[in-house]
Amino acid sequence: MDELIASFRQNFIEQDRWKYLTNGLKTTLIITFFAVLIGFVLGFIVAVIRSTHDKTGKLKIANLICKIYLTVIRGTPMVVQLLITYFVIFGSVNIDKIFVAVMAFGINSGAYVAEIVRSGIMSIDNGQLEAGRSLGLNYRQTMFYIIMPQALKTVLPALANECIVLLKETSVAGYIAVQDLTKGGDIIRSQTYSAFMPLITVAVIYLMMVMILSNLVSRLERRLAKNDRH
Amino acid sequence: MIDIKNLCKDFGNTRVLKNITETIHKGEKVVIIGPSGSGKSTFLRCLNLMETPTSGDIVFEGSNITKASDREINLLRQRMGMVFQHFNLFPHLTIRKNITLAPVKLKLMTQQEADDKAEELLKIVGLPEKADEYPARLSGGQKQRIAIARALAMKPEVMLFDEPTSALDPEMVGEVLELMKKLADDGMTMIVVTHEMGFAREVASRVMFMSDGEILEQNEPGEFFSNPQNKRLKDFLSKVL
Repeated sequence: MDELIASFRQNFIEQDRWKYLTNGLKTTLIITFFAVLIGFVLGFIVAVIRSTHDKTGKLKIANLICKIYLTVIRGTPMVVQLLITYFVIFGSVNIDKIFVAVMAFGINSGAYVAEIVRSGIMSIDNGQLEAGRSLGLNYRQTMFYIIMPQALKTVLPALANECIVLLKETSVAGYIAVQDLTKGGDIIRSQTYSAFMPLITVAVIYLMMVMILSNLVSRLERRLAKNDRH
Repeated sequence: MIDIKNLCKDFGNTRVLKNITETIHKGEKVVIIGPSGSGKSTFLRCLNLMETPTSGDIVFEGSNITKASDREINLLRQRMGMVFQHFNLFPHLTIRKNITLAPVKLKLMTQQEADDKAEELLKIVGLPEKADEYPARLSGGQKQRIAIARALAMKPEVMLFDEPTSALDPEMVGEVLELMKKLADDGMTMIVVTHEMGFAREVASRVMFMSDGEILEQNEPGEFFSNPQNKRLKDFLSKVL
C-alpha cells in the first residue's frame, strides 16, 4: 500500500506531472469533438450522394469519388493515414499538430459515418420516397423532410458508437507527437521509469469515458424504442 | 383530361404495357380490374410518372408529360393525388403534419391555412380527433383514410388509387370504400385499380379489364359484369364473382 502511494506521489504529484494527464485529456477531447463534427458532415454528404446515386442513377462522378474515398480510407490503417496527413499532405507547411490530427481523424471517421448513414437511408421503405414524390415534393425535399429524419433515428445508436470508437482511436495521435492522454501517460512513464501507475491510470480514464458514453447510448436506444411503440 | 397514346413500358426484357391508347375524361370514375401481373398498377403509376414510360405519350390537360422536365413533373404531381396499397404515411410525423407537410413546404399554403384545411379534411374522412396522433396508433383503415386526406390536401384534379384496400383487414375495407364513394359523388375524377368488384359495379362510370399489358375490354359497369364479351374476362369474372 505504501508502495502504491509512493508511486502515485512520484508519478502524479512530483513536478506537477498530473498536468500531463489533464492537458492530454483536454487534447484528446478536443481532437475527438472536432473530428466527430468533420466526420458527421463529411459522412452525411457522402451518404446522401451515394444513396441518391443508388436510388436515381444520378451523380455518377460524385458517387465514384465517394467510392474511392471510402475504399482508400477503410482499406488503410488509421496510423498510416495520420502519418501521411502530417508528413505528406501538410509536410511542407508549419501547421498546428492538433489541427492535423483533427483533419486526419475527421476524414477517417467520415468514411464510417457515411456507411452507417447510408445503411439508414436504404433501410427506409421506398414507399416513403414515392409518397413524398407523389405529393409533388422534389427529391431533395423528400430526402430532407421525410427520409432523413427516419433514417437518422434508426442509425443514432450506431452513430453514437462511432463517437466512442473515435475517442479510443485518437490514442494513436502520439505518432505525430501530439500530446494527447495516451502520450501524456507515456511521457510520465519515460520520466519516472515506472510503467504501471501512469499507464493503468490512462486506461482507467479511457474506460470511464467510454462507460459514460455507452450508458448514454443505451439510454438513448431505450428512449427511441419507447417512441416507436407509441 | 388525360390522353394516353401508344403507351409502352418495359421492365428489363419484359413488356408489361403493350401499346395502350386510352382517354380519360374529367369527372370519370374509371375502375381497372384484372389478374395480378396484368400491368394495371404499372399503368396507373405511369400516369403520374412514378414509372417512366418506355415509349408513347401521356397528355394531361394539353401538356405532354412524358416530355416534361423534373420541375414540370413535380408540378404535375401536385395536380394528381395518389393513394398507395401500403398507405405510406410518414411515421415520424403526426397526422396533422402528414397532411400539411406538402402544401406548406411547396408554399401553396401557410401553416395556418394548411392546418385549417387538415381539420376540414379530417372531418370529411371522419377522423377529426386523430390530428395529433402518430400513424402507428391508427388501424389500417384509418391510415388509408388519412392517406386519402393527405392526397386531397393538395387539391388534386384527379385521384389515382393503387389497390387502396388490398392491404386491409376485411372489416376495414368498407370504411375506405365508403370514403372513396363519397369522393366520387363529389365529382372527383378517379382512376382506381382494385379487386373490389362491388365498388366497381356501384361507383365506376367505366370498368376496364387488363390482362398481359393490354386493355382487353371496357364498358359501363352494368353491361361489363352482366354481359362480358372477352373470353379471358369471362374466366376472370367467373373466378372472382
